[in-house]
Amino acid sequence: MKIPNLKLKSQLALFNAFSKALIITLLVFLIPWLVSRISIQDTDKLLIQKLDQVIELVDSLGIETYIDMDAEFQAFGSYNILKEEYISIEPIQTDTTINIIQYSERIIEDELVDYRVLSYSIEENDNNYLIEIGKSISVILHFEHNLKQFAFIFLIFIITLTFIFDLSFIQYLLRPFERIVSKLKYTKHPTSFNYQPVNTNTSDFIYLDETIHSLMRKIEAAFNDEREYISNVSHELLTPVSIIQSKLDNILYESNLSEADMMKIFESKKTLRRLTNLVRTLLMMSRIENEEYILTQDVNVNKVLQNVVEEIEDKAIAKELEIKMELKANDFIFKGNDNLLFTLFYNFVNNAIRYTDKGHVEIVSKQENNQFSVQINDTGAGIKKEKIPQIFSRFKNSNETKDSYGLGLALSKKICDYHKIIVEVKSEVNKGSSFILLFP
Amino acid sequence: MRILIVEDEKSLAAEIKQFLVKEDYNIDLAHTGEEASELISINPYDFILLDIGLPDYNGLDLIKEAKKYNSEAYFIVITARGELEDKIKGFDLGADDYLPKPFSLLELLSRIQAITRRKFGHQESVIKFGSFSLDTNKKHFQFKDKSIDLTKKEYKLLSYLVLNKNRVLDRLQLTEHIWGEFYEDDYDSNYIDVHIKNVRKKLAEFDNTNWIKTVRGIGYKFEF
Repeated sequence: MKIPNLKLKSQLALFNAFSKALIITLLVFLIPWLVSRISIQDTDKLLIQKLDQVIELVDSLGIETYIDMDAEFQAFGSYNILKEEYISIEPIQTDTTINIIQYSERIIEDELVDYRVLSYSIEENDNNYLIEIGKSISVILHFEHNLKQFAFIFLIFIITLTFIFDLSFIQYLLRPFERIVSKLKYTKHPTSFNYQPVNTNTSDFIYLDETIHSLMRKIEAAFNDEREYISNVSHELLTPVSIIQSKLDNILYESNLSEADMMKIFESKKTLRRLTNLVRTLLMMSRIENEEYILTQDVNVNKVLQNVVEEIEDKAIAKELEIKMELKANDFIFKGNDNLLFTLFYNFVNNAIRYTDKGHVEIVSKQENNQFSVQINDTGAGIKKEKIPQIFSRFKNSNETKDSYGLGLALSKKICDYHKIIVEVKSEVNKGSSFILLFP
Repeated sequence: MRILIVEDEKSLAAEIKQFLVKEDYNIDLAHTGEEASELISINPYDFILLDIGLPDYNGLDLIKEAKKYNSEAYFIVITARGELEDKIKGFDLGADDYLPKPFSLLELLSRIQAITRRKFGHQESVIKFGSFSLDTNKKHFQFKDKSIDLTKKEYKLLSYLVLNKNRVLDRLQLTEHIWGEFYEDDYDSNYIDVHIKNVRKKLAEFDNTNWIKTVRGIGYKFEF
């Protein structure tokens, strides 16, 4: 059986309830036995006490007070009208000492009654007498019943009280622990961790809290180092590029260059541009990996798609491709990063245009079964089935003839992962490709 | 126009200076934040080109400082670090424009000119060629009295060519100016040519002059 994961607090409460239940069951069986034992002992003690009193009376007043020596029937008996108790004294013929307590039946006024009877023999005036003191069983049972009832009520009261007390103590004791857990739960990013120490007297919790703090600080420092590193790499790579570009610009503006020289410089600028884009894309990917982009903007996805199309339609027009837009879904607002989503769609649409020479590029957004999706379809070259798994890897390209470095799709995949968007690819060679983006 | 270039890379600063001097700007150079701070406190600049990645100074502090001494200066922030945050902070602190490294010198010039037109207003805002006139303030283009409809991008392209008349503009510069910094990896595509073709067609409806010359393999040049 698989035990579900529970909070520590709930587990302790459950254990507590379980142990209390165990005690209750145990006592439910024990109490009747205990109570009847107690009540018998109690009754017997009472009977002995009464016997002592009777003997004292007989000693001081003489046996004659109770037994008329002249009577035909020499015996004494006394009982109350409810027959709850009786005392009898009668002569016996044996010399044997009798001293027992037992259950026994007596007929009193023609009625058979169960008694607990103490029988005791004494010698008085050279005669042996038997004193019997009895207490009716029904009285004992009644007493027993009352005792049981009281015991149960008391038991339930005590158990409830301790249960409530235990629960609130557990709650109190574990509150700092729960705070520590919730601090971790609400930390989306090491830089947003709440370093306020948790107020507690439990040394284990203090240790736990402090350890988490110090670990968080280390993670945060590593994260900031990474950020600074990316920033420095960016600076170190792009500054030399900038110097070369400015030099090339200046050479280009010095007049009297031959057409051939101008071409060479222009080609160099193009190469530089390629390098720049490569560096920028790689840095963008690093920044995404380092989670530097905020994901809290309200982004209207349809609007972004419209902006992308507006920005890119020149390319489609230049290739005489039609861009079809079908925004079937109502405005879908998505928590994410505006710039990244723009780049994401731009890359997909740009790719679709690049690999399509005839036909159209279609952009569809729709909302079906609570699932918002964006689909980018083209009627282009398509991707071979065995190449599909590789298209999102860096520096791999499905189309060897085109001069590209395959970072566009790798970046797109990173942006999707960062936003928890799922990408599906369907493609058929020479018929076209579909990229389906399923939003969370 | 007096411009201060604050850039710790000496050879980049020199290139920018060389280019802007030819455009008749007075240029001062500062290679450290310290120098820049001193120059700003003494001289009234019209523009300050500021690399915020200075080793000895927080570039953004320099903007604050400058605003104290010289509220007239316009800031163009240059950075190779490219953090979005800095970009936003830069604008908050009163930077007037932002250029990520590497940038083309022509783009820098056009940003300076744009701010000049916008803020100083004393430059000719209407440029005339033939019977055409281009109003860079109102973003309006007309032939004699007849207004000519241009798309946003066509306007941007034409005005860029016109403002940089008699200069060869290569395709990269035109692309950078019109599309900005997209993570672009198409270098040989001809979509800029499509826009040029459309602009030429619109001009040809009124006038037979070939204003926009093709520079084979490189780009275009507006001549008049």
